[in-house]
Amino acid sequence: MIGLQDVANGVMLGATIGLGAVGLTLTYSILGFANFAHGELITGGAYAALTLFWLLAATVGWGVGHFGALSFGAPFLVVLAAAMLLTAALAIGLEQALFRPLRRRGTQIVLVIASFGASLALRSLITFVWGPEPQYYTREISIAREVLPGVRVTADQLFVLALTTGLMLALHLLLTRTTLGRAMRAASENPALLALTGIDPAAVARWTCLIGGGLAAVAGVFLGLTVQVRPLLGFELLLPLFAAVILGGVGSVYGALAGSLVIGLAEALSVPLVGAEYRAAVAFVVLLAVLVIRPAGIAGGRE
Amino acid sequence: MGGHLTVGGDLTVTSATLTVRDLVAGYERGLPIVRGVSLEVARGEILALLGPNGAGKSTLVRAIARLVPIESGRVLLDGVDVTARPAHRLVRDGVGLVPQTENVFTHMTVEDHLALAAAAVERKERRARIAAVYELFPDLAAQRRLAAGRLSGGQRQMVALARALVPAPRVLLLDEPSAGLAPRLVEAILARLRDARALGVTIVLVEQNTRAALAVADRGCVLVEGRLRLVAAASELAGNAEVARLYLGSSEAAR
Repeated sequence: MIGLQDVANGVMLGATIGLGAVGLTLTYSILGFANFAHGELITGGAYAALTLFWLLAATVGWGVGHFGALSFGAPFLVVLAAAMLLTAALAIGLEQALFRPLRRRGTQIVLVIASFGASLALRSLITFVWGPEPQYYTREISIAREVLPGVRVTADQLFVLALTTGLMLALHLLLTRTTLGRAMRAASENPALLALTGIDPAAVARWTCLIGGGLAAVAGVFLGLTVQVRPLLGFELLLPLFAAVILGGVGSVYGALAGSLVIGLAEALSVPLVGAEYRAAVAFVVLLAVLVIRPAGIAGGRE
Repeated sequence: MGGHLTVGGDLTVTSATLTVRDLVAGYERGLPIVRGVSLEVARGEILALLGPNGAGKSTLVRAIARLVPIESGRVLLDGVDVTARPAHRLVRDGVGLVPQTENVFTHMTVEDHLALAAAAVERKERRARIAAVYELFPDLAAQRRLAAGRLSGGQRQMVALARALVPAPRVLLLDEPSAGLAPRLVEAILARLRDARALGVTIVLVEQNTRAALAVADRGCVLVEGRLRLVAAASELAGNAEVARLYLGSSEAAR
């Protein structure tokens, strides 16, 4: 039976997918191709945080700490911020070293294949450096509490939901109220015209990578916190990410968020119906259904 | 359309001479569309760039604005070589281009267009610049919250022109601003160009509509197969039926 608990789980999953999907849809529309390495940005963020925790523990003796009912404390926030910066740097590095030179000469398919190659290479590198075994930030257990009758969530999950909401609100303000946001919207429609407006499209692309990488890191760290850190963490999220992006209509930030919620709910609600083994296939089925029925996405119509 | 030179204070520019020397340019290397063009546009002058379809008029202005790769030759602004500067830098140096098509962001409001263009100006001047441009285009002020994609063709053209005027360009390149517009709107656009020239802007006007272009221009030049065939005073070109027949096609001569 589907219960409120499944709905709550779906919303939580949707929030995490949303962090990745929003970054993916931004880079998709502004850099002009489907970046398959976006999953590895998520994984990279999770491992960056893991390494930073080790370093903090080894040097200044900081643990993950804990605050109230959360399984972590202030050091976690410091590590999260640093992991966002490191992942953003990785995203900008990929753009500068790989995608930008290819975009000048090649076609879209060349970029997509290149990003697929980057994805494989990064995943192998991560497995080589950190090993294939799952790892954890903390052995603390965040205890689930009943927030509504029949709905139990952990403090960690609520924190994830609150921070995701805050980040999305900040992104909304950035896109609608600032020059950078206007430039990003402009770049997604017509980069040449943006240059004619006096703004460097390459700089806008770098900012987009920074934002996409930062959000991907948050998704990775959240998954590391609430599940575990594994080399396949981001790659396994790639399908739900693309499903959410296409569902929402490529380039639409709010569409990607809505799509993420739909995918998250579809996966979580399918568990009591078809069993947990098949939940990953649900995103795929939803994606195929949308491609057949509404190729431009639910909110689509653009292009 | 109201709004004339009363707003000049905020938009007046130090005009510049545009010099193009032996320019060879095209979308693909080795396949030049502009095949060695040299021309000079004086400060505050309107030069009409005429010629048949496919002559390379659009490519020429797009190459000057650095949207099309330049293979050889130079572009100078007041004697300073700006050939190597990327498109966005050129805007800040005072060169503006209004492309013929896809010249607005359809999902963005009129206000967004002007705000984005104002990013190229000093922060403290931004508000005044936008206000001055709205005075020049009062119709746009009433539609500032509308997405450009919902505007008519003529209004879009006005948005594109207004957007280009925000950073107070010294040289303005216009690629067929009258294309597809009703005569009344063509006249409105040309009136704005006269306003811009009065502010000191140097203008290169690409046009298929020869008669309208020569009515507003000081000089005209005819481009055929990527090369300049003729440069003369606008009045002289307008009265020369032979030129029109030879270079602009007989249908143009009949107009």
